[in-house]
Amino acid sequence: MKYFLYWGCSLEGSGKNYLASLEPVAEVLGMEFEEIEDWNCCGASISYVGAGDLAIKVLNARNLALAEAEGSYDIVAPCSSCYIQMNKVNHEIGEDPELASKVNACLAEGGLKYSGKIRVRHLLDVLYNDVGPEKIREKVQKPLTGLKVGGYVGCQSVRPYGEYDSVEKPTIQDELIQAIGADAVPFPNKMKCCGSGIFLSEIDLCLTLVKNILGDAVAHGAQLVSTVCPMCAMNLELYQDRVNKAHGTDFDVPVVYLTQLMAAAFGLDLKRGAALDCNIIPPEGLIKAAMG
Amino acid sequence: MANYDPSFAREVFQNVDFGEEIKMCMQCGVCAASCPLSTEMDYPPRQVFTLIRAGKREEVLNCNSIMLCTSCYTCKVRCPRKIPVVDVMHGLAHYALKQGFVPRRQPAVFGREFWAQVYKLGRIDEKDLPRRYFFSEGLVAGIKGTLDFMDVGLRMLLHKRMKLLPERKIKGIQSLRKMLDKAERMGKGGAGA
Repeated sequence: MKYFLYWGCSLEGSGKNYLASLEPVAEVLGMEFEEIEDWNCCGASISYVGAGDLAIKVLNARNLALAEAEGSYDIVAPCSSCYIQMNKVNHEIGEDPELASKVNACLAEGGLKYSGKIRVRHLLDVLYNDVGPEKIREKVQKPLTGLKVGGYVGCQSVRPYGEYDSVEKPTIQDELIQAIGADAVPFPNKMKCCGSGIFLSEIDLCLTLVKNILGDAVAHGAQLVSTVCPMCAMNLELYQDRVNKAHGTDFDVPVVYLTQLMAAAFGLDLKRGAALDCNIIPPEGLIKAAMG
Repeated sequence: MANYDPSFAREVFQNVDFGEEIKMCMQCGVCAASCPLSTEMDYPPRQVFTLIRAGKREEVLNCNSIMLCTSCYTCKVRCPRKIPVVDVMHGLAHYALKQGFVPRRQPAVFGREFWAQVYKLGRIDEKDLPRRYFFSEGLVAGIKGTLDFMDVGLRMLLHKRMKLLPERKIKGIQSLRKMLDKAERMGKGGAGA
């Protein structure tokens, strides 16, 4: 199982614990990654301020074109925003040949072309459909028994295309949580937006969104929240004390990447493998207690 | 009740990315009911589309709604007429800013700095972007913003979640810029190829 891993701008920084846990987990599962040489930013959800739609498409098509010239593997995007930005180009040029030729006319300025052959997939899709919950279960050495995990799906990992999970009632993350021995705690707001790119510019609104997500997770019994997106992880974890101050709540909920839980359950080192020391609200206590 | 004035609608169809999609709107309000921030908006998306049809140019290009969209895509997946509401909102915001309107100041400032960095480096520097955002409104605002977020920055740093080296330009930055420039010329409302 070989893939292009699209790092995106967060995985070496704010999403360090994502990458640091993904790499050893992938190794256990027999997944091999190659970086797309000289990749660029996907533009995320705020580029519309500075750029027109075609420019944002071309920005993403460059990554796809670079990948296509390098090999024929699927691109795996661990970040939901990167996933959707690249995937959107694929969908839209697939439906509109005129757009495809416009995009290619722009790519030609840099000597590139893209024929639409590279599939863009979210990490969650690959973990579920290529690896599968069965194989993941087989690799578990220390099941996270009794740990109540709120699997926060967020927005762009499934919407708008719903390629591998329901856009209204997604279950895949919960199934993977169960596969590592933990208890998935579904909560209605697991599909609600965390605020994404407005986290600095509209912080008050963002805090309200975060409060509604965490409050719902906790009310349904979650001890910690897992995510598959660096933006979601950052907003939900970093802002908890600000939420508490603004809304009179008392959240102290660890927010981890799903891959961190997998690394722990696979028996990897909690620091070097699961990168739990990167978390600001420490999840070690809960995870160690679950491992017994 | 205002009369329908098609001139602004025509302007939107011609110049706004995905603008013609609003023709499909049947005013059901599913977008408004689905939007996580519609209660904060001057007008929910459904109403924005009506205002376009009614020719209310200033109201539309000045309303905060078009810049509060977080791209959660709930409206897009639920719209029974398959309108990509997110894309229309982004298109309207981009057009409004180009026309000199400022529908919402802070996201406009942040977005401008974000895109400037994409264009300059080809990537985002997570340390540098907030700094540029805070200081773009002057020294005092910059110092205040930096102090306000000092706790966040320090915690990220202490937990190894800050890339210490500055982000360098991608190798193909010059050709990326050429591609983007051409795309802006060829795009809707652009100067042409």
